[in-house]
Amino acid sequence: MVVVTGLGLQSPHGEDAQAVFEALRRGESAVHEVFPGQLPKPAVAATVAFDESRWFTKLQLAGVDRVSQLAVAAADLAFRDAGAPAGLDPERVGVYVGCGMGGGAAIETAYLTGAAGGRVPPLTIPAFMPNAPAAHVAIRQGVKGPVLTYSVACASSAVAIGEALRAVQRGEVDLAMAGGSEALIVPGVVAAWQAMQTLAGFAPGEAARACRPFAADRSGFVLGEGAAFLVLESEAHARARGARSHARLLGYGLSSDATHLTKPDAAGQARALEAALRDAGLQPADVGYCNAHGTATKIGDVVEAEALAMVWGDALPQLRVSSTKAMHGHLLGAAGALEAVITILALQQQALPPNQHGGTVEPACPLNLVEPGDTAAPGLQAAVSSSFAFGGTNAVLAFGRA
Amino acid sequence: MSSLGELQQLIHKKYGIEPSQLDPDASMREHGIDSLALVEFLFEVEDTFKVSLESNPDIDTLAQLAKLIDELRAAQTA
Repeated sequence: MVVVTGLGLQSPHGEDAQAVFEALRRGESAVHEVFPGQLPKPAVAATVAFDESRWFTKLQLAGVDRVSQLAVAAADLAFRDAGAPAGLDPERVGVYVGCGMGGGAAIETAYLTGAAGGRVPPLTIPAFMPNAPAAHVAIRQGVKGPVLTYSVACASSAVAIGEALRAVQRGEVDLAMAGGSEALIVPGVVAAWQAMQTLAGFAPGEAARACRPFAADRSGFVLGEGAAFLVLESEAHARARGARSHARLLGYGLSSDATHLTKPDAAGQARALEAALRDAGLQPADVGYCNAHGTATKIGDVVEAEALAMVWGDALPQLRVSSTKAMHGHLLGAAGALEAVITILALQQQALPPNQHGGTVEPACPLNLVEPGDTAAPGLQAAVSSSFAFGGTNAVLAFGRA
Repeated sequence: MSSLGELQQLIHKKYGIEPSQLDPDASMREHGIDSLALVEFLFEVEDTFKVSLESNPDIDTLAQLAKLIDELRAAQTA
């Protein structure tokens, strides 16, 4: 049995896990306008108020992109939350990080200065490389075991957490720091996302509620940035050192659609959901909450509802569902990790974040959505968090009450 | 005319290191200015002083760097 003994966040709602969960429970959106007047269309995103000076001197920031800065901070907070155990064998500790893009700001600066005939900053490559966040965490924490980066688009950090689970189960490491980081809210990258036509439209003044998962009038997702980390270890290891567990990581399910580069596939998602439940030894009826992938795209939400129906069948009405992307945005490579933290907090608090900005529900999504104001979940014993990615990889994590 | 003073100002501006904290004859590496930070710093030095340093100059102390810049600037005005 593997447990979660530490949580660390640098999220759009802040870094204090309890405060973040309470804000989500109240339905607060962290989504706001970004780069006014600079982009082809108005843009919104959820960003982190981050003070890098708490973890880096100016000297230490040389060649370190924001995505790595956030990762170091969140991983450090997770490790401290786990009691900052001393005496670990550094070769028996691993770092498993999900990241979709790597250093967005670094690569954007390089292209802009280069294209303008200026000189490309010399540390562009180490700042941009997608494995930099994991490397910086390892350097800061002195980790000499496996240090891996999983780049699987929106499923990156769910995969990272799942693979860390396997490494702990196999006895490869005694302790794993697993999570994700993403920081690509820079004009060029946002413009690229706008060009894909998957981002939500919004009326002036309506930025905060632009993302409306499972709503009839949904129009896409909003981008987010941030980092989130879990500390994982075996229950025995945790008990031996007197660590308290936030939750149990019961199972991990993975599948590949093999159908389309960006369109989701219900059968593929269902396979991942079933695999997670099987791995966790759970029946659908045992699961009280699903933190959905729920990007609020026209097609995505319907396909996800279909997949949930395929797996839960008659038990579907008892499964309460919400997508917290409405409030914190889509953190892409870090989405799985942030949403895992939220799912863990839900189990601890016996409360659920609402499916915010719902309005009129999409008829093709007959789900038991968590309503604002009706967030208590007494008796919640198990929950799943889904991440369904561009490229067709689907990752589902199953958590149980500690 | 030594570039040392301007270098010390640049280091302070960029890295928050006070001139008094960095002995010009001390190894910069031992003060935490590792190879990556040094590469970035030399880049900025080139921009600030309008000189061109050869790649990977054999520089370990601030005094050595100041001397090199003095020579390059002198060559420019010669």
